Amino acid sequence: MRAIGIVLAGGNSKRMRELSSKRAIAAMPIAGNYRSIDFALSNMTNSHIQNVAVLTQYNSRSLHLHLSSSKWWDFGRKQGGLVVFTPTITAESSDWYRGTADALFQNLIFLKNSHEPYVVIAAGDGIYKLDYGKVLEYHIEKKADITVVCTELPAGEDTTRFGIVKTNDDGRITDFEEKPMVASSNTVSCGIYVIRRRQLIELIERCAMEDRYDFVSDILVRYRNLKRIYAYRMDTYWRNIASVESYYTTNMDFLKPEVRDYFFRQYPDVYSKIDDLPPAKYNPGAAVRNSLISSGSIVNGVVENSVLFKKAYIGNNCVIRNSIILNDVYIGDNTVIENCIVESRDTIRANTTYIGTPDNIKIVIEKNERYTL
Amino acid sequence: MAEKVGVLTQYQPLRLNTHIGIGIPWDLDRNVGGVTILPPYERSKGSDWYTGTANAIYQNLEYMETYNPDYVLILSGDHIYKMDYEVMLEYHKANNADITVAAMPVPIEEASRFGILITDENNRITEFEEKPANPRSNLASMGIYIFSWKVLKEALVRMSDVPGCDFGKHIIPYCFESGNRVFAYEYNGYWKDVGTLSSYWEANMELIDIIPEFNLYEEYWKIYTKSDIIPPQYVSEEAVIDRSIIGEGTEIRGEVHNSVIGAGVLIKSGAVVNDSIIMRECVIGENTRISKAIIAENVIIGADCELGAGDFAPSKYDPKVYQFDLVTIGENSVIPDKVKVGKNTAIVGETRQEDYPDGELTSGDYIIKAGGMR
Repeated sequence: MRAIGIVLAGGNSKRMRELSSKRAIAAMPIAGNYRSIDFALSNMTNSHIQNVAVLTQYNSRSLHLHLSSSKWWDFGRKQGGLVVFTPTITAESSDWYRGTADALFQNLIFLKNSHEPYVVIAAGDGIYKLDYGKVLEYHIEKKADITVVCTELPAGEDTTRFGIVKTNDDGRITDFEEKPMVASSNTVSCGIYVIRRRQLIELIERCAMEDRYDFVSDILVRYRNLKRIYAYRMDTYWRNIASVESYYTTNMDFLKPEVRDYFFRQYPDVYSKIDDLPPAKYNPGAAVRNSLISSGSIVNGVVENSVLFKKAYIGNNCVIRNSIILNDVYIGDNTVIENCIVESRDTIRANTTYIGTPDNIKIVIEKNERYTL
Repeated sequence: MAEKVGVLTQYQPLRLNTHIGIGIPWDLDRNVGGVTILPPYERSKGSDWYTGTANAIYQNLEYMETYNPDYVLILSGDHIYKMDYEVMLEYHKANNADITVAAMPVPIEEASRFGILITDENNRITEFEEKPANPRSNLASMGIYIFSWKVLKEALVRMSDVPGCDFGKHIIPYCFESGNRVFAYEYNGYWKDVGTLSSYWEANMELIDIIPEFNLYEEYWKIYTKSDIIPPQYVSEEAVIDRSIIGEGTEIRGEVHNSVIGAGVLIKSGAVVNDSIIMRECVIGENTRISKAIIAENVIIGADCELGAGDFAPSKYDPKVYQFDLVTIGENSVIPDKVKVGKNTAIVGETRQEDYPDGELTSGDYIIKAGGMR
């Protein structure tokens, strides 16, 4: 492949509420057995990009733990590999990454020392499958300076937290508005870019000289009339999970057969770290309907329309409905949970009730002592 | 400790070879050592299949010479247990032993089925009895040995002409008679030989107890395996599951009771599975009823079938192997729609409607078709 990959996984978002207080968004668990960043990394490896850097800074520990070995995504090769760059103190700078462009600037040496002519930049919080090779082909065909992957959100969806794109008939971006107050179009940027490596270095150096730090507002928006910026339209499944509502609905999407079929059965695969957990176990009293159950889980109660992540324990007579139970959660007997997201490693006492509403998903964080056999 | 592992294979090695690969799932993809598959091979002075357990190792002396180890641990692959071999090795060293044999106490009434060890107060073995009629001890050999390399090499070379050279029958007795220090290492945990159909079935069924003796859910001592199926399992609106364990990526649309279901299996709606083991990537058709079956990988079973029907009858195929109620279906087999299969039956290969007279395979009967591999 003629490109290196960069995954921007630095972000925090207030829209994630308490869920981001202990992990980077890119490390959010998805669909039972995955983490958000698995999708970008799998796309990279499936597009034959062999050299990938992950740039991260906010709450990066959980992300580091997940990326403990590069072999799960097949990056552990003699040529190429997976590297994680956090901000460091150098002779020139002791700043945090002040924005996405600054993060790239602080790692400019990685860009300069690569020899591949192109760079694919992807956000770590998108759930999708995409052959970046196709985007690169389009990029070359259009003689673009920058190609931005865009998608059409369904009408009625709130687009104000995205970058809104308008194009001419050729696909060239004529207008780019970042997180507008009122959205004027349904075409949003997916946060995936293809750009020539030397062009990127030049733009980033210029940005840094002018004390500008953000890739979107200081490069895409600022240069939209100067540079040939094109939109590559993606019409397959794409979701961004950086808000509690979208995180919840994205996970629930995996209860739909067509979404499971697309991600789990159709080529290419999505890879993730392997945990070697035992199979899920259903004891007498278990009644599970329309739910995803991950390995290592033990179910003794009722689970409906829910997603159970790895190593969830559901006690006797529990009722779990329309909820997401994250990794390694212990739920004591007779507990009722509806329309909730239960944070990982929670210990929920017996005989308790947590009820959210479909419009206001409750986030449950309980750090009780766990006494188990 | 054990970072150099050789796996000796001979009988139908493809599945085991693909399972082991370069050893990534068990962390045996090492820069130094790692896992090596050791099949029989042709050499200038003729070529032989492995004729016995010790003969297999003798034929791979060269493999061990390259590492020139101090100790060699010899195991069998068809046992289920958790054991820290490091502790056994410490014990071996502490006793200044030449051979240490892992042994576990069995009920005295069952002792006559095993190789029995008689030991002195220091656990040094003073006598061996192979399947004794009147056992004098209940300490049974588990077929797990640690040898000091020099002793093993000497014995293997010395005994190399013995036909079908076997550890239990030849090597251990030889070493013992030549005055080596042979010790018994007593093991008291869960151990199960799954070398027969019924013990294999029982071992699987024990895993679904509420707190099984062999606990897969223990944090401290995980059992690793090759898992290339990552997605979670999906349980549909109409599914009913209890007392079962179910692997990754499986979709359950029917009923599953008292069963062990592997990864990537599809159980269609209306199907009912009882007391069975279904291995990975099988498909069970609509409204098919299955009880007491062992179904190997990649089997496709049609709709409206009944497996495990009727009463027990002795096997017409191999009464030594098939002596239990189980329906046994070999890997990659296909069973058409609407057939009835009795108890204690065996099916291998792509079967069709016409293989079942009156749509039925009666108890004790079998269908073995060539070209079972698809």
